[in-house]
Amino acid sequence: MIRLALVGKGGSGKSVIAGTVARLLARDRQRVLALDIDTLPGLAFSIGLGRIPDAGMPEELGQRREGQGWVLREDISAEALVDRYALDGPDGIRFLQLGKLPGHVRPGSTVAFRHVVDSFHAPGWSIVGDLAAGTRQGFAGWAGFASLVAIVAEPTEAAFLSMRRLAGLAETMPAIRIGIVLNKIRGEVGIRTKLADLGIPVWAEIPYDESVAVAEREGVAPIDVAPECQAMALIAGLTTRLCGLAREEVVV
Amino acid sequence: MKIGVVGKGGAGKTTVAGILARSLAESGHRVIALDCDTNPNLGIALGLGLEETARLIGIRQALDEGSEEHAPTVPELLERFGAQAPGGIRLAVVTKIEKPNSGCG
Repeated sequence: MIRLALVGKGGSGKSVIAGTVARLLARDRQRVLALDIDTLPGLAFSIGLGRIPDAGMPEELGQRREGQGWVLREDISAEALVDRYALDGPDGIRFLQLGKLPGHVRPGSTVAFRHVVDSFHAPGWSIVGDLAAGTRQGFAGWAGFASLVAIVAEPTEAAFLSMRRLAGLAETMPAIRIGIVLNKIRGEVGIRTKLADLGIPVWAEIPYDESVAVAEREGVAPIDVAPECQAMALIAGLTTRLCGLAREEVVV
Repeated sequence: MKIGVVGKGGAGKTTVAGILARSLAESGHRVIALDCDTNPNLGIALGLGLEETARLIGIRQALDEGSEEHAPTVPELLERFGAQAPGGIRLAVVTKIEKPNSGCG
């Protein structure tokens, strides 16, 4: 059972990794809640749900309270919301879109739904949350549900700058473990030494894989159309590693 | 002219914006490059280098924190908070989030 948030620069491949990890956990007979926290949602494609209609929860479930900002209405539990609003995905995954609400909404109201993930503690569930690109959501607390945070990054200079900023998440979340997933690697990884200086472990190194690119072009889950490709095997290895890290937490 | 570059993460907005800015500058335009991403890295695409890009502060943060007095004009803001990028481009970061809880959600 893991509680994993994926952060990183735009285009680094967070959704593909999130979707694939979620599917692999589900195939391992875990109950999985996959969260698309991105304000421009796309996780449904990588999970294998394809194009879905507006899947977010209605804004009316949140309310603005003096001194607290946007919160969930008191009469609603996170578990009930997941039960009612999550979509059924492949392999028994439950999928919930949080970053974008259906229709036009008032500014900031999505924050109410941050409380869904924070207070969802149904026993035995794994949670995989795919955050929006960049630093804003992570630093505003959207990764607060997680005990593991994966920074997904291509091995580029700009991505390194993003990683260095995101490493600051450890300040607010001392209990989390942060790791880097290098993705879409082609050729040399020139930033390896710099990464070592950053002091964050590299959890996986995944090469650029044309099969994944084709799946993304078609809007389908790579695990459905290219289960044997190299990237899928390495994401499976990552999943095993994440489960191992989560088990260590329990022991400690 | 004023050009905004928008799109989904990873589409290549920053690269396109950087090349547009450099091309316009090379053909004789005076260019202001505004990085409106809260995780700004346009400086890298413009050729400013990683550390110079990392050093840039967000105009909004500087004003919010009260560490700077409000400059009365846009040129003054650019002068005070911007950086000189290759090609004579003036680069400024509008808002930057690299600290916990500095955003609005």
